[in-house]
Amino acid sequence: MKYNYVEKAVQVTRREFLGMTGIVAAVLWTGAYAVTDIVEDRNKYIKMRADGLYKDDEKHAVRQSHKNKSLMSMYDKLAAKPMSPLAEELFHTKYVDRAIL
Amino acid sequence: MAKSYQTNELHGIIQIDSKICKGCDSCKSFCPAEAIDGAYGATHHINDDKCLQCGQCLVNCPFGSIKDTSDAVDEVIQKLQDQKTTVVAMIAPAVRVALGEEFGMKPGELVTERVYGALKNAGFKIMDVNFAADNTIMEEGTELIEKIQKYVLNQPQEHELGPLPQFTSCCPAWVRYMELYHPDLREHLSSAKSPQGMAGPVAKIYGAQEIWKVPPEQIYCVGVYPCTAKKFEASRPEFTSAADYWKTKGHSAIYQDTDVVLTTRDLARLLKKLSIDICTVEPIEEKDNPLAEYTGAGTIFGTTGGVMEAALRTAYFVLTGKELADLEYAPVRGLQQVKTAEVPLKLAESGREIVLKIAVVHGTKNVEPLLREIEQGISPYHFIEVMNCPGGCVNGGGQPINPMGTSWVGKFKAILPWS
Repeated sequence: MKYNYVEKAVQVTRREFLGMTGIVAAVLWTGAYAVTDIVEDRNKYIKMRADGLYKDDEKHAVRQSHKNKSLMSMYDKLAAKPMSPLAEELFHTKYVDRAIL
Repeated sequence: MAKSYQTNELHGIIQIDSKICKGCDSCKSFCPAEAIDGAYGATHHINDDKCLQCGQCLVNCPFGSIKDTSDAVDEVIQKLQDQKTTVVAMIAPAVRVALGEEFGMKPGELVTERVYGALKNAGFKIMDVNFAADNTIMEEGTELIEKIQKYVLNQPQEHELGPLPQFTSCCPAWVRYMELYHPDLREHLSSAKSPQGMAGPVAKIYGAQEIWKVPPEQIYCVGVYPCTAKKFEASRPEFTSAADYWKTKGHSAIYQDTDVVLTTRDLARLLKKLSIDICTVEPIEEKDNPLAEYTGAGTIFGTTGGVMEAALRTAYFVLTGKELADLEYAPVRGLQQVKTAEVPLKLAESGREIVLKIAVVHGTKNVEPLLREIEQGISPYHFIEVMNCPGGCVNGGGQPINPMGTSWVGKFKAILPWS
């Protein structure tokens, strides 16, 4: 039997192999990283909106509810105080057991 | 008739479009109540009996297959055209940092005056829900203070009070969760209504008499919330306090305190239908409108920890007679799932020192361990804030979707080089 030995046509050196592996890993890594970016973006939007509200808070000279003058004058005009009978009637509620509905 | 709803309560608000659903299970991972049926790969379906109507599945569906089916935009436009009706828009804290996104602005852009301007242009009268948030702090804070006086200091109180720890009751999805899955613990919820629950009676009683001077029957309250569950909450049969009040004064009409609720997305659609662009509209400061006055404490209600921080600012003052040294209370800020803190208080009256123990939870599922502690009688807390949506109302189920990057399909398309 005639045996014809041919060297493999494509030769990959150790350096080339390492280089190519590096490129493949980078491509896979970038894809995976892009997905984490999308997840991270969620938090970013939440934080940006929350920062907007904290900015609104800082902007106000009056930052405590009991110092809201219009609110206090409403309580006066309605002749009510927090948890007074009228306040109980308008601003408080009862909860239902929905498991038995 | 779906179970777990009272008569005339709005339900089935959130629906999955079976033609678009790919069965990817994303929604299930965001659902706080395990209310979504359907195997992986098969079309999913929402179980209305279990659903909290919070809309977290809706804002997180990668394919945009989940819809809010309750649409009042045309009804509101019709009311605006009716000269006899005073249409009041009540805008919630988290709307003012998100509405801009629907008009191409950066997320988090604070556009309060522009929203006022746009609403005025459309023909609305304005009430700020932040005013009602301050109102909520006065009621809920007073309730907490009385509970501390009763249970911690053993001073008898004249009001009937629920047990400690007290839970916040501002979030309608959380309240529904408690009522549905832990009805035995519902006495722990603050008896104070949510800001929406207070805004209605304020508008239809105080607003009708003192501000707009019109008969209460002619006021049509449009709540604008970052939330789909508020649509359900507004329809609760208990929320007719204004009509009940006026009945004692000889009126006979029956109506809900808040007539209809729009989400941030709905409001954007309404404004676009009326060709109003908030980027170009004239900003208006509602300086002379008492119902638009609000404090910094009211506005932070829209983010996790905000209700707690606002309550602390007032409770600390009432109990100690002094203002908090630093109003910005860092331990309740940020996105950690459960935040806890201990606040030392030196009481004004007796000079006694007590420690107020608080917890802040967002994402309703995270509250389960705290509920188990209460059931076992070992809960260390006095006051617990719960918001259903991760991050609080700023990330509510009624907020703008596409700019938020939560619709993954849209996001992927945006990073492809050829689109």
